[in-house]
Amino acid sequence: MTLVLSGLTKAYGGLRVVDNVSLSVPSDGLVGVIGPNGAGKSTLFSLATGFLAADSGTVSFDGRDLTAVAATGRARAGMVRTFQVPREFTHLTVRENLMAAAPGQAGEGLLAVFFRPGAIAAEERAIAARADETLAFLRLDAVAATPAGRLSGGQKKLLELGRALMTGARLILLDEPFAGVNPVLIEELSARIRDLADRGVGFLIIEHDLRALTRLVSTLHVMDRGRLIASGAPAAVLAEPAVRDAYLGGAAA
Amino acid sequence: MDAYLIAIAIVTGIYVLMALGLNLQYGLTGLINFGHVGFFCVGAYAAAILASRGWPAAATFPIAAAVAVAAAWPLGLVSLRLRDDYFAIVSLGFSEVVRLVATSERWLTNGVQGIAGIPRLFADLSGTTQALAVLALLLVLNGLAILAMRRIVASPFGRMIEAIRDNEEAVRALGKDPARFKIQVLMLGAALAGVSGAVYAHYIGFIAPEQFVPLVTFQIWMAIVMGGVGRVSGALVGSGLLMLFLEGSRFLRDLLPFVSEVEMASVRIGVVGLALILFTLYRPQGLMGDFTRR
Amino acid sequence: MTDLLELAIAGLMSGLVIGLAALAVTLVFGIARFANAATGDTMTLGAYATLGGTAATGSLIAGGAIGILAGAAAGVIAYATVFRKLERRSPVAALLASIGVGFVIRAGLGLVYGHGQQVFQLPLVRPWRVWGIRIQPTDLEIAAAALATLAAVFLILHATPIGRQMRAVADDPDLARVSGIAPRRVMIALWALAGGVAAVAGCLLGIKTVVAPEMGWDMLLPAFAAAILGGIGHPVGAVVAGVLLGIAQETATPWVGFTYKIALSFAVLLLVLLVRPRGLFGRIEGVR
Repeated sequence: MTLVLSGLTKAYGGLRVVDNVSLSVPSDGLVGVIGPNGAGKSTLFSLATGFLAADSGTVSFDGRDLTAVAATGRARAGMVRTFQVPREFTHLTVRENLMAAAPGQAGEGLLAVFFRPGAIAAEERAIAARADETLAFLRLDAVAATPAGRLSGGQKKLLELGRALMTGARLILLDEPFAGVNPVLIEELSARIRDLADRGVGFLIIEHDLRALTRLVSTLHVMDRGRLIASGAPAAVLAEPAVRDAYLGGAAA
Repeated sequence: MDAYLIAIAIVTGIYVLMALGLNLQYGLTGLINFGHVGFFCVGAYAAAILASRGWPAAATFPIAAAVAVAAAWPLGLVSLRLRDDYFAIVSLGFSEVVRLVATSERWLTNGVQGIAGIPRLFADLSGTTQALAVLALLLVLNGLAILAMRRIVASPFGRMIEAIRDNEEAVRALGKDPARFKIQVLMLGAALAGVSGAVYAHYIGFIAPEQFVPLVTFQIWMAIVMGGVGRVSGALVGSGLLMLFLEGSRFLRDLLPFVSEVEMASVRIGVVGLALILFTLYRPQGLMGDFTRR
Repeated sequence: MTDLLELAIAGLMSGLVIGLAALAVTLVFGIARFANAATGDTMTLGAYATLGGTAATGSLIAGGAIGILAGAAAGVIAYATVFRKLERRSPVAALLASIGVGFVIRAGLGLVYGHGQQVFQLPLVRPWRVWGIRIQPTDLEIAAAALATLAAVFLILHATPIGRQMRAVADDPDLARVSGIAPRRVMIALWALAGGVAAVAGCLLGIKTVVAPEMGWDMLLPAFAAAILGGIGHPVGAVVAGVLLGIAQETATPWVGFTYKIALSFAVLLLVLLVRPRGLFGRIEGVR
């Protein structure tokens, strides 16, 4: 098991937005979380990645307890998130967006910038090569030199995935990767995610788009009002009456 | 007239040095530094105090920069993790406290009377030659600062500070700590303001706390907002425009004798205020256009 | 001991002024969601307008009313011409513009009144002595005026429909919009209220000390500090924090000296932001 969330709870005032949620993601697993709006999915994500502090519960990754570790530390440990509304670096080009994500760059030290230009140039070439590989893999190579702010919504989702890959993350948490993305690109994105899972990258995916997600993941969790109400193989989970009430019933209304 | 033009060029050069620092902080990194004059003040006093005790300019300049950096470090350490607007308020307060210290610590700063008779640079030269030497020094300092700025903008460090400006949360999500970069940027900008203050103290020859009011900070803000946020050329153009405006208002007063100096001072404050409002409303990226890399 | 008590009373007086200024800051911060740096210069405007109004009408009460109207008008005009257009932008844009607004107000006052200091020509009254403590009758009047203003503001906030709508917007702007509150009307009322409160603060400060172009700007740091100490968007907190800060400043004067009073606000500001960012009474608010 790579990521283990256990008993995560977060309350605002009297309202428990996330209520005692436990789940785990195996090292090459594809795990999905669905639920109606306001079910607490995004909050769960923020608790897992350290963007919010949990009231109780623990987060561990690769057997290491990360509960007390800040967001940057958790990302460095190898679990990287994306955002529901893409947060691209608007004024940087797509390639620069990816290059910025590469970890441990000597060129991010001011002294090195002035006193070790040669070493930095070599490092930059290596990072640029990796960025170009990643861009080709994500079919973003055509827009490599475009400022990221000009990309379409779907391309921005791919860009965020690309940045996460550049960090060398072993677990990627995707927040609604298919929202606002056209169906062709959804297929594309799903195919990339499957490729990556085959290479041993784990995914935890929050999604609203039920169809795309159920075809992608092997395990599905359903959240409603802060709690997990069902977990298991997608087909079985969707057949459960409680899930139909909470989610499908709500969606049909 | 020549002497006048050289004097104008020197003061513009002093502003450019400060504007380059603020441009690095706000234009490239998105730091809302409302206390820039505080670093300028610290640098000016450090240079004035040492020079009055006989230290040579070769020592007062680096020390002025170092003292400004030393003032920026704790400020950044405690407040750069705050939200943008809170940092803005804290930095404004910082510059006011610096001025209070300059006013109160009479043993060191001579209080409100200020420090007079600060040794001039290149004192063994005279007249126009001396002024030209000061101008040449400023050109060298600004040239070095611009080269350094270009090097930074083209580096991975520069890429990261622009990423922070565009989206700080995303930077944290990638496992990088924005505060580590922001504090370095704050210190670098402070160094430029500190050196600028040292040149100012040596050139004007007299400094007092009343010269280091927040209005100076916002004049520099006006300069970079007019010139173009995030562009090195913006700092140059903006400082030129600022100088044109400050000196122009003096000319205007010569032409309009019925306007008193006090009234003109109010007009200047009003124009700075109006420029801040209008540019925020209509041209947030300045005259020279949008943020660009390289 | 008597000295300390007299300092505490002086602190209470300046604390009420800081509290009113902080109230103006916190109303705008809580509802329009940015730190309004024009608050200080609105105070100065209120003081000058009261001075002018008093000279014209011969009555301090009528002058005060003119001052309040001037402050409220300045607030509404600033909203209509500047801040309304920045509602969808970052709080920093509005903060920068508010500095510009403050400068414009100060420039206007400087042009009209010059840069000299002016004083309210009030009859000199001999101080009372209560158990050996000197009490200025003027102070009592200032305190009464401050308390009356506070009472009026809280009455508006809690007992009028527009006040309730203001508090609803402060609690949750999105929810307020959904439930059909007209944001424009609420915002105009807010700016009138905040401008009027700032004007009262400036007017009282002018009566207590002198009227000068920089007087309001110099109160900005204490006002921000008190607003944050009280918890952003929390009116009672702002006033309580202002009074505490005023008393702390005055009673600390024998030790830190007159000029470092302002530095105390800075220290409080920094300390609160670092240690307890939601202030004494505030809800959880992201400041980092």
